[in-house]
Amino acid sequence: MTPDVQDAIDEIKQHFRGLNVLVGPDKDGGACVIVEGVGLGAPYAQPDSWIGFHITHACPYADVYPHFVRHDLSRIDKNALGEAISPGHNFPQPGVVVGDALPSRPAIQLSRRANKREPNSDLETPLLKTLKVLRWLMSR
Amino acid sequence: MLRANFIRDRILECRDEKLAYLAIHNHGGTTSVSFSPDDYASHERGYPALLDVARGVPVGALVFAPRAVAGDIWLPDGTRVELVDGSIIGRRLRRIGPTLPSYAGSIDPDFDRQVRLFGDAGQAILAGATVAIIGLGGVGSLLAEFLSRLGVGHFILIDPERIEGTNRPRVIGATRWNARTWFTRDPWPKWIQRIARNTASYKVDIAARVIRRASKHATIERLKADVLDPKVAKRLLDCDYMFLAADTMRARLLINAIVHQYLIPAVQVGSKVVHDKDSGEITGVHTITRPITPECGCLWCNQLINRAKLQEEAQTERERQAQRYVDEQTIVAPSVITLNAVGAAQAANDFLFYMTGLASDEASTAYMRFDPRKRSVSLDSPRRSWDCTECGIGPKGRLARGDAGKRLPTFHEGD
Repeated sequence: MTPDVQDAIDEIKQHFRGLNVLVGPDKDGGACVIVEGVGLGAPYAQPDSWIGFHITHACPYADVYPHFVRHDLSRIDKNALGEAISPGHNFPQPGVVVGDALPSRPAIQLSRRANKREPNSDLETPLLKTLKVLRWLMSR
Repeated sequence: MLRANFIRDRILECRDEKLAYLAIHNHGGTTSVSFSPDDYASHERGYPALLDVARGVPVGALVFAPRAVAGDIWLPDGTRVELVDGSIIGRRLRRIGPTLPSYAGSIDPDFDRQVRLFGDAGQAILAGATVAIIGLGGVGSLLAEFLSRLGVGHFILIDPERIEGTNRPRVIGATRWNARTWFTRDPWPKWIQRIARNTASYKVDIAARVIRRASKHATIERLKADVLDPKVAKRLLDCDYMFLAADTMRARLLINAIVHQYLIPAVQVGSKVVHDKDSGEITGVHTITRPITPECGCLWCNQLINRAKLQEEAQTERERQAQRYVDEQTIVAPSVITLNAVGAAQAANDFLFYMTGLASDEASTAYMRFDPRKRSVSLDSPRRSWDCTECGIGPKGRLARGDAGKRLPTFHEGD
């Protein structure tokens, strides 16, 4: 992994201390990451989920997206999950992670991408982006 | 008189930032300069002690005259070296050394008409120049043609792709045989089409042939690899100028970083046709030439590197397909040789006038946008943010940090 990817993963592990953080390096210096046991609850029927994402070798410059969560996510009010939340995916995609470090699992995809950044602002780290996506998910 | 405490504090700052400590003064004269015996005596008295303080970074002195510079530099291992030459970058390149550079050797009389513009010295500068062309498609192949006919001496050509039939109308020197045109289309069986595509000529080989046709003396390095390969990216550090003719966000990111970290100017060239997604009507046609130089704002500052596209480009094809972003990418963009030619010619001119020192001090650093439908040219002045992570100053930015700077945004270098 590149030093920037390693730093990003260290920051994620530090933030999610106590949770299981799985890491599967890819061939170009990036890594797929899964944080298990992230708290959910209302408006969702499930108390928690894993959240996964691919930090590519282009970290810290690239936006980290999409994110993936448990495949059986559902709302307490039985409504549809809504825009930018799509079922029927897998994470990580087979062949991305080198070896068997991180087996692919069924997932729901959360598509929250940021094309631009604010001028003069610091880069959003993979951790900050993940926290932003989680906040967005809980606000649906 | 510099006081010891002042010097010590500056050296400690240099040590912290991994910079060389160079004390600079001026002497008389114009086109030649050297240290005085007193200068040398003071270096020999003081620099061994300064090296001890510097702990791992060089210390030394430069002495300037208006058109000359000499240097006495002490390296961390105790080696002492003289400065052979230096480059002053800006709107135009100026090479200076202890004396005026001499350009020995005869100039090929075939260059007579252009030598009348930039002289024997200018022609010799071009012959000694090393350029990289990243992407040898429509724009890059034109640049190979222009630059080789200008007499550029050394080429580094970077492109991992093979030519396709649909490239041929835009790629100088490409033949039907290079593209295996007949065998890559129906009614040939798919397996024959696949073999034909996999044996088509590499774009760098076609460009090398174009260069060789124009110049038998040019040296050509062909790199059939991704520019993000760390070994390939490293080759760029030997260049005098880079032409970015591969329009990916990750290539933009890398070249932008090298420009500012290693002070090697570049230019990004591209053409774009924009159409309305619903009606299909063409809404814009333009060619852009963007100088990327250490003195003006960078592509990152100017929001010209899209973070989401960077992520997509770094993912596998299978990931992109599964995430359904592939639809956008399978739209084949229009591309026309004459649009490319406008940008390539401007980029080659920028290089020519920069290298030969003929560029005006008032030359614009703006991005140029040519609109052939309106027959207009517009200029966009790049913004600059001094705390930018790429072109910014200080440890946070890359500006002039060289090998001591941040890691270049390449693929990971394997152990």
